[in-house]
Amino acid sequence: MSGHLINSLTLQVLTGLQLGAIYALIALGLTLIFGTLGVVNFAHGALYLVAAYCAVFIANSLGFGWGVVLVPTILFAAGWIMERGLVRHFYTRPHTDQILVTFGLAIVVEEALKWGFGSNNIPYPAPAWGSGIVRLHDYLGFLEGFVVFPKWRLVLIGVSLAVIVALFALLRLTTFGLVIRAGMRDAGMLRFLGVNISQRFALVFGLGALIAGVAGVFGGPITQVSPEVGMHLLVPSFLVVVIGGMGSLEGALIAAMLLGMALSFSAQYSAVQQIIIYLVAVVVLLVRPRGLLGKKGVFE
Amino acid sequence: MSKSTKTTITRRTAIKTVAASALAVTCAPAFFVRNAWAEKAIGNFPVKGKEVVFGFNVPQTGAYADEGADELRAYKLAVDHLNNGGGMLGTLDPCALDGNGVLGKKVSYVVGDTQTNPDAARTSARRMVERDKVIMFGGGSSSAVAIAQQYLAQEMGVVFMCGLTHSNDTTGKDRRRYGFRHFYNAYMTGKALGPVLAETYGSDRRAFHLTADYTWGHTQYESIKSFTEAEGWTTVNNIMTPLGNTDYSQFLTAVLNSDADVVVLNHYGKDMVNSLTQAVQFGMREMQKNGKQMQVVVPLFSRLMAKGAGPSNIDGVFGTANWNWALRDTGSQAFVKSFEREYGFPPSQAAQTCYVQTLLYADACQRAGTFYPPEVIKALEGHTFTGAGPGESFMRAGDHQCFHDVLVVQGQGMAARQGDFDFLRVYKQVPRDQVSYPVDTFPGDLGPYKPA
Repeated sequence: MSGHLINSLTLQVLTGLQLGAIYALIALGLTLIFGTLGVVNFAHGALYLVAAYCAVFIANSLGFGWGVVLVPTILFAAGWIMERGLVRHFYTRPHTDQILVTFGLAIVVEEALKWGFGSNNIPYPAPAWGSGIVRLHDYLGFLEGFVVFPKWRLVLIGVSLAVIVALFALLRLTTFGLVIRAGMRDAGMLRFLGVNISQRFALVFGLGALIAGVAGVFGGPITQVSPEVGMHLLVPSFLVVVIGGMGSLEGALIAAMLLGMALSFSAQYSAVQQIIIYLVAVVVLLVRPRGLLGKKGVFE
Repeated sequence: MSKSTKTTITRRTAIKTVAASALAVTCAPAFFVRNAWAEKAIGNFPVKGKEVVFGFNVPQTGAYADEGADELRAYKLAVDHLNNGGGMLGTLDPCALDGNGVLGKKVSYVVGDTQTNPDAARTSARRMVERDKVIMFGGGSSSAVAIAQQYLAQEMGVVFMCGLTHSNDTTGKDRRRYGFRHFYNAYMTGKALGPVLAETYGSDRRAFHLTADYTWGHTQYESIKSFTEAEGWTTVNNIMTPLGNTDYSQFLTAVLNSDADVVVLNHYGKDMVNSLTQAVQFGMREMQKNGKQMQVVVPLFSRLMAKGAGPSNIDGVFGTANWNWALRDTGSQAFVKSFEREYGFPPSQAAQTCYVQTLLYADACQRAGTFYPPEVIKALEGHTFTGAGPGESFMRAGDHQCFHDVLVVQGQGMAARQGDFDFLRVYKQVPRDQVSYPVDTFPGDLGPYKPA
């Protein structure tokens, strides 16, 4: 392989990983909430949006470190309140009602932010330690010449990886996780066993929102902070959930990376690039109608 | 038998006389008002009542809502000045307006939301014309939207004074008799910017373009490409990016992979803010390529975009603008002062072009002595004026494109900024003659004065 091709492949794989990382962060919360509570939360993009706005103001006034601590906490609280105050009243209602109410909420949040802060971008620079570029050719011997990648995007890939590991550890290694996984299988049975599932559901919703909070803090400098960002990310994130298989965390992860790579490798061919994620969705769903790792009986 | 001297008036003669007098009295004004004999109902002409209604169709929601809000501020100011005097009414020359409405009628206005969507814009404009009986409408912040409204204007016989639209097509292949554009276009951007880029960065440059995939982006790319190539630059590649994209990393990766040493971002609004910010994140302003410092160029700049991208990202980046609030000519200053007095901050270029368009239309009605659209159009066509910005402006009859000086601007970094609104520095004021071009550069047909 020529040097140019290796350089190109490396950069495109990194770009794909980074695109996938942000989709994964948003889709994980989405699929966690869906898998556990059976709620299709169209306001999840709005949670990301709120996180990004909080992050930019906290980072600019108190410093980025405070943003990392405060924003996920705020979002956890927001998610908890949202579940207790609104979403829980819709558990027994049809999915269309859930979609309508969460979608409506997303519009209200978007318009409120537009009203309060205008519809233009609010600059959200990455913190000094994360800005600039990494000279990949200094570390990777197989690259030829001058090959660079933004440092912050590598940070995002790292953060995304850490969140994924932490979430899987929480679900696989703790009693809380065990209950949640059991709840994802059969919530009714857990209730019969005397588990206060409803209290835990609020925590799950909060957890999903918390992950959106992390995504907002670290993704904000990349996606930018403007009122439309939430809706822009919502569609690919939903596709990730559908392609991965409704309610499957592992599936969402694979699907996020698949879409990231598809977007990255088709970038030069704009006619294809603009429809590539839908193309991937169609192909996957034709071959596996329940998505890559979808389970029988979920959302059917 | 003596001949009777008594004059007899027969019934028939009486009727004839009365009919002739009635005809003469009815038509009398027509002999004194220029071309009034030809005036038939077109669009919402004739204007009934003591008021005349203008329609302002701006993006109140969607990606360009901030531009829309500023346009609306300018429109309200224009109406106030038309009714009560002030602003550019004192500087515009020639100016038939006296600050007492237009043709003795008070100006009122209605507002619509284009949503930066051609279909929504047409629906809103149609409602203004049919329900609110507007005699003229204007506004918009996207070429696709402006072009859609321009066709509607022609169809309905109501003049459309385009707002912010920069595509060559608006006064090129999609030019319409009922549409006028004061704002400059992509071709003029290329003509103004090409030589400055070559002067500053050298003539041996390799450019990679990222282009918004719609009418404006396409004409912008074509224009910049041809004018930079004329200066000796090579165009390495162009990628069409979807409108409203938020992550440009996949496209910027392609730029990094190429041997280009300049990246040209043919993006506007948030697209530009995102692509520029991310290009900077990719290190494209610090990188050396082909032994040269890599450069980023944003052909169409605006203060609102510069603010969104942030001072550190735009520092030193070249682009062009139609107008800037810091210009010192009397017209600009009169407008800036009254705008600041009203709203507490200086206007954007979107506001300026919308304000001027409204005054130009009103002045044309006043000069024509009628609201009759064909006469107003004729009064605007070939009209030369000063006092609405730097230098002399000329509304060309052949394509309804206005020609005036164009600004080459540079983003202002944090250190050089003087005040909250100082985002762009005027690098060069390119004279009108240097950005003008023959009318047949783009093929197109204006269509008839009277809609079918």
